[in-house]
Amino acid sequence: MRTKIFLVGACMLMCISSFVQAQTVKGIVSDENNLVLPGASVLADGGAKGVSTDMNGSYSLNLSPGEHTLEFSFIGYQKQSKKVVLTAGQTLELNISMQPDAVFIDDVVVVGYGVQRKKDVTGNIATVDAKKITALPTPSFEAALQGQAAGVQVTQGSGLAGSASTIRVRGTASVSAGGDPLYVVDGIPITQDYFIRGNGGAMNNNPLATLNPNDIESVEILKDASATAIYGSRGANGVILITTKRGAKKKGLSIDFTSRVGISTPASLPNMTNTEEYLQLRQEAWENDGGTGYVWLPNYTTADDDAETRALAYREAMGRDIDWVDRTIGTGVKQMYSVGLRKGGEKYALYAGLSYDDNESYLIGNGYERISGRINFDYTINKWLKAMVSSSLSRGTNSRIDAAWSGGLGDAMSNALPFYPVRYDETVLDEDGNVLHPEDEYFIWRDEFGGAKNPVGYRESFKSWKNIENRSVNNVRLLINPIKNLNIVASGGFDWMFLREEIDEAPIPTVRDFSQSFLNVNYILNWNYSLTANYDWDLLEDHKFGFLAGTEFQRSDSYGYSEEVTDEIPTPQRNGNPSQFSFLSYFGRANYTYKDRYLVQATARVDGSSRFGRNNRYGFFPSVSAGWIVSEENFMKDSKTISFLKVKASYGLTGNANIPDYARFGTYSAADNGILYGNENILFPLQLANPNLQWETSRVVDASVEVGLWKDRVTFELGVYNKLSQDVLMNVNVSPSTGFTNYWDNVAEILNRGVEFSIKSRNLVGKFEWTTEFNLARNYNELVDIGNYTPDAVSGGTNDSRVIVGKPIGSFYLVEFSHVDQANGLPVYLDLNGNETYDYDNAIRKYVGDGLPDFIGGITNSFRYKNWDMQALAIFSVGAKIFDSSAKRQLGVVSSWNMRTDKFDRWRQPGDVAEFPILTLDETKYGLDEGFPWWNTSLFVYDASYFRLRNIALGYTFQNLKVKNMTFNNLRLAVNVTNVFTLTNFPGLDPEVARDFENAQDRNLSPNVTYLTPPQERSYNFTLSFAF
Amino acid sequence: MKINYKYLLILACGLMTLSACDKLLEFEPGDVILAEDALKTPEDLQRLLNSNYDVLANLYDGRVQVLSELLTDNLSFPEDNNDYAAVYGRQTNFFTSTTNGVYSDFYRAIYRCNTVLESFDFIDGLSESEQKRIEAEARFIRALCHWSLVKLYAQPYNNTPNNSHLGIVLRLEASQEPLSRNTVAEVYDAIIDDLLFAHSNLPIENGFYASRKSAAGYLAHVYFLMNELPNANFYASEVINSMEFTLDNDLDRFEQDNISSETVFGIVSFSNDFRNEGFSNNYRSDIGTPVLSMSESVFTTFSLNPSDLRNEWIENNNGTYYTTRFNGANYFNIPLVHLTGLHLLRAEALATEGIDLDVAIADVNAIRTRAFGEGINQLPSDASAEDIIEAAREEMFKETICEGVWIDYLKRRGTLGEDIIIRGAPYDCPGMALQFPNGETSVSGFQLNPEGGCN
Repeated sequence: MRTKIFLVGACMLMCISSFVQAQTVKGIVSDENNLVLPGASVLADGGAKGVSTDMNGSYSLNLSPGEHTLEFSFIGYQKQSKKVVLTAGQTLELNISMQPDAVFIDDVVVVGYGVQRKKDVTGNIATVDAKKITALPTPSFEAALQGQAAGVQVTQGSGLAGSASTIRVRGTASVSAGGDPLYVVDGIPITQDYFIRGNGGAMNNNPLATLNPNDIESVEILKDASATAIYGSRGANGVILITTKRGAKKKGLSIDFTSRVGISTPASLPNMTNTEEYLQLRQEAWENDGGTGYVWLPNYTTADDDAETRALAYREAMGRDIDWVDRTIGTGVKQMYSVGLRKGGEKYALYAGLSYDDNESYLIGNGYERISGRINFDYTINKWLKAMVSSSLSRGTNSRIDAAWSGGLGDAMSNALPFYPVRYDETVLDEDGNVLHPEDEYFIWRDEFGGAKNPVGYRESFKSWKNIENRSVNNVRLLINPIKNLNIVASGGFDWMFLREEIDEAPIPTVRDFSQSFLNVNYILNWNYSLTANYDWDLLEDHKFGFLAGTEFQRSDSYGYSEEVTDEIPTPQRNGNPSQFSFLSYFGRANYTYKDRYLVQATARVDGSSRFGRNNRYGFFPSVSAGWIVSEENFMKDSKTISFLKVKASYGLTGNANIPDYARFGTYSAADNGILYGNENILFPLQLANPNLQWETSRVVDASVEVGLWKDRVTFELGVYNKLSQDVLMNVNVSPSTGFTNYWDNVAEILNRGVEFSIKSRNLVGKFEWTTEFNLARNYNELVDIGNYTPDAVSGGTNDSRVIVGKPIGSFYLVEFSHVDQANGLPVYLDLNGNETYDYDNAIRKYVGDGLPDFIGGITNSFRYKNWDMQALAIFSVGAKIFDSSAKRQLGVVSSWNMRTDKFDRWRQPGDVAEFPILTLDETKYGLDEGFPWWNTSLFVYDASYFRLRNIALGYTFQNLKVKNMTFNNLRLAVNVTNVFTLTNFPGLDPEVARDFENAQDRNLSPNVTYLTPPQERSYNFTLSFAF
Repeated sequence: MKINYKYLLILACGLMTLSACDKLLEFEPGDVILAEDALKTPEDLQRLLNSNYDVLANLYDGRVQVLSELLTDNLSFPEDNNDYAAVYGRQTNFFTSTTNGVYSDFYRAIYRCNTVLESFDFIDGLSESEQKRIEAEARFIRALCHWSLVKLYAQPYNNTPNNSHLGIVLRLEASQEPLSRNTVAEVYDAIIDDLLFAHSNLPIENGFYASRKSAAGYLAHVYFLMNELPNANFYASEVINSMEFTLDNDLDRFEQDNISSETVFGIVSFSNDFRNEGFSNNYRSDIGTPVLSMSESVFTTFSLNPSDLRNEWIENNNGTYYTTRFNGANYFNIPLVHLTGLHLLRAEALATEGIDLDVAIADVNAIRTRAFGEGINQLPSDASAEDIIEAAREEMFKETICEGVWIDYLKRRGTLGEDIIIRGAPYDCPGMALQFPNGETSVSGFQLNPEGGCN
């Protein structure tokens, strides 16, 4: 279309240019992002004269002297009229910035197995376009969805390179089954296993990290049942459709280039004590406990040592002050280069992309490097047959570093005491004069679990760790158009993921005198075939029908093997049999539109899954929805205020089948399992059968209204939903006296109910433009029922989050802290009846808050003045709590952990009003069991509300820059800063946290628990992009 | 247009092909056997039975014995292990993973035993005698597990007049029903029932697996703790008088590649399976610093008599005391019921009953002869019952140091009215019964043990 207008325009331009006129209007037409628009139409005086903009978005129109009205238009953008008065011989420069039409008649959105006109959509779908995804550097593309769509909660991963965000669409509706949305790339549900490598090194594998954001054309987030039910048993937690860029026919060659360089720093820093401060606290604790002389020091002395030995160690410690945090963090360098090529001929269209991204984090030694290539090729074979090939190949190399509980910065925030040296200052001899530790040898200390520690030593010498992930997502589609309005699509997809983890460990003095290495390989083959037929039937002028019928089959085989080499002796381990699952599905959709304003849609999907037994193998997931475009009615057509008004509602069923492949089977070990007793084989049961296992099912009711005001200068959408999830899958802890500890069962019932609001307003138009986009969502989450089970039936691993009926999923279940007793400085707790007690007892654990926010939202403000543009994205979250699970040690009993300076506010003498109790080395003083200083109280549950300026960018665009013979279109220079500031009352590191999780259940149950989790990064970037 | 329809037809066929295949949805886990195919032949059943011995081996490789020993005052405070510290401090809670692991493992074996007992109808070609043997072995193991559990997780037998105090969950069926705790009386009834059946039906000779004498040995011990002394004496005598077992000449019952001649029932360990790690990893002091060290009082008791050859079992390492019982071997067999224990048990039982004192004296002297040498430190033939009891207990204490037996004897004496105080707290203070795992409370209604109260 654009091309056609361009050609017509070009002809006209040639005709016009043969006259010589003195009065000229000329200028550049650009889009809302200040990018030039070739082929835009410029008409004068109702079409008396007209031109189209050229490749550089420029136009020039010769007019007679006097007043003229110019009309600028472009498909998908709002028409603009400008009055100009030309004097004889005047050349007037008039640059126009077009604004997109919020609801344009031919604007399409991607829906499951097809596209629909945006206007006709009756489901709830949020679209995020490519520019927003590449606007800011993120560890992985999904992070860029943050703040862009109402009701889509994106919690950024930690500061680790390549870390995964957690996305929850309309709240958490699952307990043990995966709660993430289904990701579909160009029609293929891709492999998305976060736990393929557990949480080794305190990081989950991120299956989305290898996807190249620069290849993405648009992302659609399907939220309600009308939109997701077409994905049946996998739609319950929302669906994210990713469409990659494609070429367009007859377009000639265009090349886009983007490059970005930047640096990464931590968004916040922990306030650990230095040697003097730590020893002061420790000494005070020692004296409070009745100790005399100097306090004993971990890894140097013990409580039983005599006073002189203790004093000697203390004095030596005082002479050293190592900032371990500073030894583990630095400045990461980021660089990204991306080239996209599009070429269209008579019969073909090509997109080819190549990109390199090296994304170092601020953690020394940590970075994620991605090289990726993509070819999307469309070929029109004949009138009725077209082939589309999409193929990507990428390689992500994650240079790993231990974090959180596993080491690195985590050590610096816990067991690395400031008086431990990095290396021995001088040679240490034993009593006989033998060298125990040569000078410069790394000082190795032991943490409380006996682990050998020294984050610098591990990073520099003892451990090298790499995860290499190769990923290829491929798809071939045949589009067959046998008769008019009938389109058949046959698609075959193959998604290949190959993850190779290499860990090499050198000898460690005093720990291990040999080297060892670990190789872990996982690869997943994922095939997908689908066949759909789509028929559009215009019965009469006013009655339009659309029908879709289809079938799909998906199969995934997951393999793994490993090899451990200890002291040069290899022990290979290979699991011969893959873990497999498959889905076989049939689906259909019917749309009916009456008079272009009454819309009805029904969808249905039957899904069969290998994960369920014959009893419950097939599930049926229907949905119905309806919409009414009120603004098309005669009584509203001429409204000056309301330019668009649509009401819509839907109801439907969706499911979740995201559980381990063989959870339903009762199994026994193989007869030759290699385990012997008395040198005879044994055979034993592994897992209990549950032949009745079935999907969890969500019933979703949704209603919303879309409004456009003043020619869509302001558009907003307000929606409500009610989502009741039943038969929710739980891997329940069963009574161990049954002989088993876990069992998969359909148990819980969960309610999510909410309101979503989004608005886009063009506050200022004209020379200075200002647009605001704002979205806000409120979700109420409640665990309605868990049968006869108690809160301890499932747990968020070590995170003390539980399932409590009447409370949100993943509530913090801790002993409630009341206050510090002013008289004696002891912590006072509240028992189940609210009575004060000094006894810390697991039996008095209770709900003390949860990590789910009351409100979440995002605000984007965009400004433009001439060639300058500026964007600011802010996100906020209100009402969630955070459980700072590491603070219980950093601010608890004085132990072998370093402490935070917050601890200074402690009780010292009768009458003191302090945040923290009397200092002690003796956990029993706080009512804890001896040897168990893990003080799980509500004292460390904080308000995690925050407002964060996520990104601010300033850019300048040269619309057509000529350098010698080359013309660069839309050459843009931009700088941006991410995580500029965060307003929060949370005293810890980062109020937005997605820590490493132990499994899918932990991921659902433990939002907002932090445990030595590296804070997010703040990055400063410079971007250069242009096209030619 | 013609060709288009042809394609349509092909596609329609493709669609049909896809839809015809429910088989496409049948994936079975590899590397394992489906439960319905697992138990078909007598060999399968024998392998399942053998897996129960495997569980026992993982429990009695020292793991369970260490927990029992931690409740006595035989060990010093285990500084480097939080869970051991919790057991030692009588402060276990439902998060104490070591005690939770032991609990789950015992019930794992009980489930498997119940599965064995419920599988006979599905096995082809199982002779009646084989079925009896397998049934007897399964019930023997089930009794062992229930008994170990009730000793660790409940207050001792006779602690209330009718033993109506809460014991543990008795599992006599392979069921997934959540159950509440039975009384100690009910648990002991079931244990005796299983052991009596085992005693009647186990073979005389059964390699290192349970034999009739194994059941007799356990019956002697169980009855002794129940203070049913005639029965204890009866079954101890059955084993001793059978002459199938002889006292080991040397003091080492934990032998490598050889089952001690006095082992009535025990765990076998090979160079490829190390079914002794619970002992070795905690006590072994010849290859590094052990996790557990002995208390000073143990050292003092052992060093009282310089001619006691068992003095070597406890070494003084600059004021820290280690046991040497588990040094020197990477793997060794573990006796659970042994002749030494039965002699001393019988001696105390007879002396308490006031009958056959000569037999009781001979029992004690047999052990003393080995420990001190011929004729040294012998009980005189006219020793009083009290002297015999004292001597029997002294020898029992020494002979079974680290074997996890002593706590049962202390608790028994407590229930008989002796003022038994262990590290400042009564033998039956609440924390002396380990806490149940958190998992038991995943269904409402389970009654946990009271915690603490011992310090």
